[in-house]
Amino acid sequence: MADSNRRRLAAIGAMALAAVALSGCLQDPDASGGGGSGTAGFADNSSTDGDNKVTILGAYGGDEKANFEKALAPFEKESGIDIEYTEDTDFTTTIKTRVAAGDAPDIGFFPQPGGLLELAAQGDIQPIDTFLDIGTLDKTLVPGLLDSVRLSGDPSGDDGVEGAGRMYGAPMRLANKSLIWYPKKAFEAAGYQVPKTLDQLYALMDQIKQTGITPWCMAWNADQATGWVGTDWIEQFVLTLNGPDVYNEWTSHAIPFNDPQIVSAFDEFGKIAKTDGEVYGGAQTVVNTQVAESMVPAFKNPPQCMFERQGSFEISFLPADIQADLDNEVGVFPFPGKEESAEAPAILGGADLAALFNGNDPDAIKVMQFLTSDKFGAEWAQAGGWLSPHKTFDASNYPNQTTKDIADAATNASAVVFDGSDVMPKEVGSGTFWTGMVDWIQGQSSQDTTAAIEASWPK
Amino acid sequence: MTAGTGNTVDVEGAAPGEPLPPEDETLNGGAGPSADPDAANPTKILVGLVGMVVVGWFVANASLSFAYYPEWFANSKILIGLVALAVGVGGAYFFFYFLNMLVEGLPGRLSRGLMPYAFLAPGYGLIALMLLYPAIQTINYSFANADATEYVGLDNYREVLGSDAFQSAILNNILWLIIVPAVTVLFGVIVAVLADKLSTTGEKASKSIIFLPMAISFVGASTIWLLVYQFDPANEDATGLLNAIWRGLGGDPQSWLQHSGVRLNSILMMVILIWLQVGFAMILLSSAIKGVPEDTLEAARIDGASELQIFFRVVIPQIKGTIITVFITVVILVLKVFDIVYVLTDGRDKTQVIANLFFAKLFRDSQSGQASAIVVILLIAVTPVLIYQVRHFRKEELGR
Repeated sequence: MADSNRRRLAAIGAMALAAVALSGCLQDPDASGGGGSGTAGFADNSSTDGDNKVTILGAYGGDEKANFEKALAPFEKESGIDIEYTEDTDFTTTIKTRVAAGDAPDIGFFPQPGGLLELAAQGDIQPIDTFLDIGTLDKTLVPGLLDSVRLSGDPSGDDGVEGAGRMYGAPMRLANKSLIWYPKKAFEAAGYQVPKTLDQLYALMDQIKQTGITPWCMAWNADQATGWVGTDWIEQFVLTLNGPDVYNEWTSHAIPFNDPQIVSAFDEFGKIAKTDGEVYGGAQTVVNTQVAESMVPAFKNPPQCMFERQGSFEISFLPADIQADLDNEVGVFPFPGKEESAEAPAILGGADLAALFNGNDPDAIKVMQFLTSDKFGAEWAQAGGWLSPHKTFDASNYPNQTTKDIADAATNASAVVFDGSDVMPKEVGSGTFWTGMVDWIQGQSSQDTTAAIEASWPK
Repeated sequence: MTAGTGNTVDVEGAAPGEPLPPEDETLNGGAGPSADPDAANPTKILVGLVGMVVVGWFVANASLSFAYYPEWFANSKILIGLVALAVGVGGAYFFFYFLNMLVEGLPGRLSRGLMPYAFLAPGYGLIALMLLYPAIQTINYSFANADATEYVGLDNYREVLGSDAFQSAILNNILWLIIVPAVTVLFGVIVAVLADKLSTTGEKASKSIIFLPMAISFVGASTIWLLVYQFDPANEDATGLLNAIWRGLGGDPQSWLQHSGVRLNSILMMVILIWLQVGFAMILLSSAIKGVPEDTLEAARIDGASELQIFFRVVIPQIKGTIITVFITVVILVLKVFDIVYVLTDGRDKTQVIANLFFAKLFRDSQSGQASAIVVILLIAVTPVLIYQVRHFRKEELGR
């Protein structure tokens, strides 16, 4: 009796367990990945595909975020796709953490191709040729930008980099960093002329100094990113003194970081940054003032400083009352070339690169196609502080003459080179180059600084 | 497997009716409640086992369904959250209910011996999964290259130990270790003693105020103090509190966080941690001081001891245990200090500490091997403190 009871129980238990084991666990309904469709969609994240929701992670905050969302609104309405934008000022770190944790957003905006290519090499990013028309992009984009998002290396062989030779991001915002800004009213009242060469610029600096005004405004503090402004300066001097070829050799490490040509660029910049009376407040103020506040003293009466070398995004840093009357308050001219020439000098550029982490989501692909087209950005352009990377972008959208001038300078330049610290490996480009600049402006020699950065270059 | 166990039970249960049989041989049979409480109860074992599997299966699939089929829950995150809460708590309840049933079904002695472990096992399992496994993996990776694809022997340790950044970080960590715990305990004791002398309301109010910073996150506190240390050039208004005072006294504006001469910048950052932790020290020490028996104080007074003598010779020895506990807790906190340095200087101007260096290596430089090596060194540094703490705690317990 007891035995048969136990047998029955055992049988029931066995059946129940077998049922559980056989029915197993739920399966991911869209775990299919690329499947049969060739290489499409080999990058995937954990978000649901095709649910009319697209998540974007970027570094834009404050006004930039508001303007970006304004530029998205018509598209969202038309397509029915809900775009969820998350800002993170520590984007470069956050994106790596989230990708490593399998929690990548659908789309990320990389301020630097270095970080993008690093993740692309790990197979986390969808190559753009699977969903964008590269031929068309190449025709409408400012020259030089697309080359920066190509993953280098040899795709064949056992040690081959998988996906090498393909492109992984598309620019959705252009920055022209070879610009010098000045308070227009004070500049014109003094009767200064826009300098065409470096020597003219130096002469003008002396002239300004004699009136008791410090020639340069400068501010480098950006919390964990402190020093990036300094790297832009060095890049500018390397480009201006040695031209785009040497510049590209330097950023790709074909010549060492402490090559004499680079050291001399540091020394040339030292004539400004490390010379008493050339920079407002001296090194201490430079390192302690937030980047966005650099030109505040320029709009005092009388101005405390006259020039700021900064990218096109400087507009959004300017005080509100200045922004309101931009064309009358602010002047801008391209960073002068070494010698006078008919051609416009090469410019230091930069672009925010949109990268797709979810190659399986048709909605995310639609958003990517929109963001990287010349149709995107009219609202943001009108709000200011944004340049389209497309030559075909309707320039009448730019709100003022200042912005049009900046856009013109970018599209006419004889060459556009990508911001070097963005191209260099991350441990240099957003690591030792930044910290090295801070050490340098606080007194370390050009030789020691460049040698230390060279030593930190990954082997 | 269960079925197998059941059968085995059946076959082996060959010696019924033995009065006090050794556990592994006895299986008294009988599905219902047996007269012998030490006998195994196969029904309970079976139901318990099946119940555990079913509950586990149900909870796992419910969790998966949140991710895969949000439409089942009307795409509502709130609903998913509530269901998850119910499934989680309910699942845990039923899982332990069946686990309990299973263990109860085992023969008496085995059951009693196993019961505490059965209830601890899930907890141990989680610790192993979340703490032990990552720790071992980190040690493993510390011998591997930057993306953990190849072993490189001791290269990471050589690289890390030889780098200036690490040596500077070690020096700073040692400074933090020397200064912060001692000062925190000192202030904690002073505040606790002084507050003890106040009226009840005064004591409550002053303790609350000193405890308040404990409620602020490290990053929040660092941001507040960043404003305190703010630098503005001499021709502009001082917006930083410290510079405002300094200039009020006739000094030139200083960029405090760049003064690495006597590691002033590091010391200024230690102030933040002390500010945050004194409240914690005070609360523990205050209750310890209140626990000092009044008669020992009386006796000392009768013997003609001064208040200071009473404090150092009578009170302090009696609260020594608490002082050590607070000290060690702060020591461990200091070894891990990260947020403050990350927010204020990110290691510039010789303020680097181990934890921040680790973060930079891992996330900025993508050097997971070296980053792991740094953490392993940190782990080795913390271990003796932990062992001491555990020993000390045991001694305290024994003393009670």
